[in-house]
Amino acid sequence: MPVTGIRAAGDTPVREARRGALLTLVRPVARTVPWRALVAGGALGLLAAAVPRLSGGEVTPWAGVNALRAAALCCALGAAFLLDDPARQTTAAVPVRRVLRHALRCALVLPPAAAWWTAAVLLVPEEARPPAGDVTVEAATALALALAGAAFAVRRLGADRPGQGVAASLLVTGVLAPLLTPADWALFTVPGDPRWADGHGHWRLLLCAALLAAAVCCTEPARRRTLRTLRSPSRT
Amino acid sequence: MTTATTTAPAPAPVTSPPGASWAAVSALARFETRKLLTRVPVLVAFTVYVAWTVWRTRVSFDGFPALQDADRATQDGPLLVGLAVLLSVNQAVLRSRRHDTERHLAVLVLPRWGRTVAHLLSVGAAALVTAVCVGGQFAWEALKPGAVGHGSPAELLVGPLSVLLLGGFGVLLALLVTAPFAAPLLIVLLLFLATFLTGFAPDGWTRWLMPSVGEYSVVTLPSDLIGRPAAWHALYLGGFALTLMAAAVLLSGGARLRTARAAAAGAVALTLVGAVGQSRGVPETVTEARVQASVTPEKLHTCVERDATTYCAFPEWEPRTGAWAAAVDDVRALAGGDARNRPLVVRQRVEARYGLEADATLAPLTRPGEVTVGTAWGGNRVPEFAVAVAGVLVTGSEATAGELCDGRTVTVMWLALAGRPDPVADLRRVRIDDSDTGSAIVVSRTEPLQMTSAQTELLRELLELPRDRAAAKVKAGWAELTAPKVTTDRVAQVLGLEKPEGENECR
Repeated sequence: MPVTGIRAAGDTPVREARRGALLTLVRPVARTVPWRALVAGGALGLLAAAVPRLSGGEVTPWAGVNALRAAALCCALGAAFLLDDPARQTTAAVPVRRVLRHALRCALVLPPAAAWWTAAVLLVPEEARPPAGDVTVEAATALALALAGAAFAVRRLGADRPGQGVAASLLVTGVLAPLLTPADWALFTVPGDPRWADGHGHWRLLLCAALLAAAVCCTEPARRRTLRTLRSPSRT
Repeated sequence: MTTATTTAPAPAPVTSPPGASWAAVSALARFETRKLLTRVPVLVAFTVYVAWTVWRTRVSFDGFPALQDADRATQDGPLLVGLAVLLSVNQAVLRSRRHDTERHLAVLVLPRWGRTVAHLLSVGAAALVTAVCVGGQFAWEALKPGAVGHGSPAELLVGPLSVLLLGGFGVLLALLVTAPFAAPLLIVLLLFLATFLTGFAPDGWTRWLMPSVGEYSVVTLPSDLIGRPAAWHALYLGGFALTLMAAAVLLSGGARLRTARAAAAGAVALTLVGAVGQSRGVPETVTEARVQASVTPEKLHTCVERDATTYCAFPEWEPRTGAWAAAVDDVRALAGGDARNRPLVVRQRVEARYGLEADATLAPLTRPGEVTVGTAWGGNRVPEFAVAVAGVLVTGSEATAGELCDGRTVTVMWLALAGRPDPVADLRRVRIDDSDTGSAIVVSRTEPLQMTSAQTELLRELLELPRDRAAAKVKAGWAELTAPKVTTDRVAQVLGLEKPEGENECR
């Protein structure tokens, strides 16, 4: 196919067609994003972040950081439902790869999530506010874990609506992690603790691992892996 | 050939009573119970709860539990199970909606409220399993050889009732809000509010509205002085759980049933009675008994005599006399002069006037030859008691031992520690900063003792000697070592040890 001079290098018709398909996908995908779960998670998260300010009196750094952690967990629980799509099996044949469809969903949600998190951080009184960057890493890790869990359930189990199971697992993890993680990982420290910096090094590692897992799980497997016993003799 | 034709008897006309058949409800309840108990969150919660409980109970209360404290220690773990049951039962109720089988189930013999009852029964089964775990934990504590006191059944009921309450709430929530994200989000909010509000510690009746109510101090009181409205609280929890369950049945179409309405009304009444009962604070009789036990404990004591020592204790602590006697005999065996068989009274005392809200120290006993022993035992309490006994043997009375500021401190500490299996470790345990060099305060049930750097140095030197040699030296110089105002340098000279170099000023 001849390449005209106006078109930039690498901007092949295939790519253009894909971009067109993506643009047409925006509206239907936006319609299937479970906004109710996300809004409910966000609203409860904001409520949790506002509790220290609403309670009046002096707010300790302990209360501030734990309010933000509760808010982040609420948001992550809402986000666990992000990949829920009752029509997954029927729309699997669209000419856009799964990784792009998932990325489109995340892209639709990320800007409001960022604005929401800024609001949540600002709701905590300034004297009790933990370092914003560090606590954002914690929140991002929770969010990435939720998305990685959902993507994993979609990839390995072919679930239409993985949200409920993923939210339950995330909640169990969230409740047990402060009780069971070794103390020297220092994941759940309070600002001012000498181990805060170390702990946040660990949080960054965790975030990278969760993001990597999410990225790997978002790709469509080349061949669906099934248990051998479930296969019919004709290998269908 | 004849053919016998048999006609199948026509099925008898089924006259099923209106409403649920209980066989169907119980069959469904068995199915839901199996499903609920094998859900991943419930399994994880039970595993963590049991592992944590076993891990803690191995070493809890230093092996000498008072059962009136051990019953309260069973209350927090079941909350974890309760949260998992809340989440799982909520998802189970929403299952038919999620899979769009509601329409299929609607044609079955079981009305909708019958299915709700089956879910509630599965929550009851989870509560029963929790009750078995709680019973196991308490029985383990009660079977420890050092156990004393009496547990309260009402305190033991709090754990299973919390599971029932949270599970009932999960069922009700599924009927009110059909969104699958409601339960997890609500759990986060509940947990957050619970941790946040306990930070504020609202006093008075509001704190009794929570399922499990902790105490601020670790003081152990005789069981009749505890003064917690445990029975009222169990009634409140049970009533509240039944209210939520009855509300769930009413909401799922049981409103026509007279039994359900009566049960709801009864449950609300129970909750209110429990809530009012638990909010009345400590009864006056308990307050009076607390004052009596704190001010004139000897009126309540029963005394046992062993060798030259009399042990006077609250009746519940009588089985512990043997453990105290072993500690006293260890100290006496090392002492010289008449201290080996001088009569001694070990008197158990407790500051109960502030209840379980504060830990107060006791004033030292002024009568000669009397030693205070607390209500806790095991761990640090053993060397602490040995120091008190040695102090009275050396100085004559507890009040003078508390003001000790001379070379006798070395003798007191050596008497107390040398008979112990690892004296230097025990030295660290009785010193407030866990140090084994330098000056420090020695903890005590009454007045704390002070050790200067020089005395610590000399004591360490003496403890390094073989015990028999050290004991011979102490016995030989007993009169001089226990003389009032003896200096630390003089003590070193009598014992034939190097003069310590550290500073020697009491503060």
